[in-house]
Amino acid sequence: MSEPKRLHPISALANFFKQLKELIIPILLFVVVGNSEGLIQMYITLGIIFLILISGILTWLRFTYRIEEGELRIESGLIVRKKRYIPFERIQSLDLSEGILQRPFGLVKMTVETAGSGTGAEAVLTAISKEDASRIQEALSQAKNGVLDEDEPQEEKRATVIYQIKPSELLLLSSTSGGVGVVISAVVAFMFQFAEVIPFEKVYKELEAVITSSLIFISMLVFLCFVLAWVIALIGSVLKYANFTVKKTEEDLIITRGLLEKKQLTIPLHRIQALRITENIIRQPIGYASVFIDSAGGSLKDTENARVMLLPIIKKKQIDAILSNCLSEYQLDGKFTPAPTRALKRYLLRGFLISIPISAALIYFFQPWGYLGLAFVLVALLFSYLQYKAAGWNLKEHQVILRFRGISKNTVYLRKNRIQSLTMSESHFQKKRHLATIQAMAMSGSGATGGKVVDLTTEDVLRLYKWYSYSDVSNEEQMP
Amino acid sequence: MITKPQKRISKRGLTVWKISGALHSIIPLLLAGGAITLTIIFDWPIWIIGVALMVFAIYAYLAIMVIPTMRWKRWRYEVRENEIELQHGVFIIKRTLVPMIRVQHVDTQQGPILRKYKLATVTVSTAATVHEIPALDMDEAEELRFFISNLARVAVDDV
Repeated sequence: MSEPKRLHPISALANFFKQLKELIIPILLFVVVGNSEGLIQMYITLGIIFLILISGILTWLRFTYRIEEGELRIESGLIVRKKRYIPFERIQSLDLSEGILQRPFGLVKMTVETAGSGTGAEAVLTAISKEDASRIQEALSQAKNGVLDEDEPQEEKRATVIYQIKPSELLLLSSTSGGVGVVISAVVAFMFQFAEVIPFEKVYKELEAVITSSLIFISMLVFLCFVLAWVIALIGSVLKYANFTVKKTEEDLIITRGLLEKKQLTIPLHRIQALRITENIIRQPIGYASVFIDSAGGSLKDTENARVMLLPIIKKKQIDAILSNCLSEYQLDGKFTPAPTRALKRYLLRGFLISIPISAALIYFFQPWGYLGLAFVLVALLFSYLQYKAAGWNLKEHQVILRFRGISKNTVYLRKNRIQSLTMSESHFQKKRHLATIQAMAMSGSGATGGKVVDLTTEDVLRLYKWYSYSDVSNEEQMP
Repeated sequence: MITKPQKRISKRGLTVWKISGALHSIIPLLLAGGAITLTIIFDWPIWIIGVALMVFAIYAYLAIMVIPTMRWKRWRYEVRENEIELQHGVFIIKRTLVPMIRVQHVDTQQGPILRKYKLATVTVSTAATVHEIPALDMDEAEELRFFISNLARVAVDDV
């Protein structure tokens, strides 16, 4: 496969849509700002769109890729010619995804990631056939593992499925996701956008009689809207997480998901920085949790993407069994040392101080309903109590577990060699009560992740601090 | 028990912090000046002048005298063979451990005031975090940077 190859022609269309998306705001502004009778404007706009189409096609014509001398060589560029040669050793992962454009033609989009520090993918092959994709993958694994040709297909088979979402779980996940809020705000935004177009007055007049006659009707309508929004969010979530599968090969975790748009994510096992179990407030009471991993490489270099959902929803009891297959270096079991009883006061005080101004403002501005603001204080205190209950830590030889709650309850597993820095802090008031805060930071993409537990006893915090100190470790190593 | 870090930062650093505190106090000074001018022009009650002066005085006192002094007193650091330890903070005292094998790179940097006083700030970066040792003697900062970058050998597998 050494002669230069072009992408599938559909990528010309993909280029066109991408360019159009980037220019949509200037074009809209151009159309909207000008007077309504500007024929010239319309011609210019159409001209621009035509130019974008042409450039999309030319971009496709110019883009070639080939495999040569252990490198993936890409030549592209319309006006400025670019040649990008990526040695196979430098490639961290190849990710395949199937978008709406690719699916009907049985094509895939291949994203090539290297360990470079720049953001975004090193190279994207917008549309190639599945055979070509697997040929590139084979060439890559050959280059990485020496020349053992026959071994490769076997390795491919050795990928074991460690998790597959069940229909019931998918339904539970979708129905308890936070997507509802997003949909509702989108609907509201949409309503405002088209307020002028929709004949509200007409609708109102017809409904006026009904509406004035019954308040119940309105509440029913509002309720119905919420249910509808929830159903939309549910469907969206189902489409996104359907077929969620986690596979494990020798070196990577491979996550695939999606019904309409198939996504595949490869995470090299040795690049995993931290493990996080999150129990949100709805799922916690029914014993379900989500598992995330933070990674430093592969296809996850951007900060916002560096936290990957490994198990979207899972019975808390089953986590151990599943993860011991793929992340055996993390020990999940362990008894947590909680925050001391004297810390409860400080937790409650914090909740109180945060909620009091808000509730005071409510009472002041919204008489008489504002008194409901007092309930807000109660909720804040309850939350503070839950935060206190969640706080805890556990120490293993090479691993620390920090447990804490913001809104959701988080349990973060950090291995000592993945912790970038450890900080303990005490304020004046903490010192008086002999309490301190511990915070561990690890790498996540190009940013940071970590855990922070507030108000543990100073002895506990010092113990964690000492555990992390390399000076002591080196002494121990020299002893025998 | 790990002993607390021992080394202090340069005494001249305190002077620099006081100078920058004075520079920061210019904004409340301008605000107070504006309030006083308006009070005189529009014949507002006299006590406004008093309050404006008081606020400025308190701000300046804190920013020039109290906070830099406390900050300087608290700042300690220690560079050991295996790790760097920092301790700092005015109201909340933070102690941070940065293992040498996690250090990605070390920089020194210098603003105009720091340069005048022959001081520099050392910045230590890991894969996830950035730590600063401010206002060190210039030679000491250079030496420290050299020392740390020699010791810092990031274990490739661990990031």
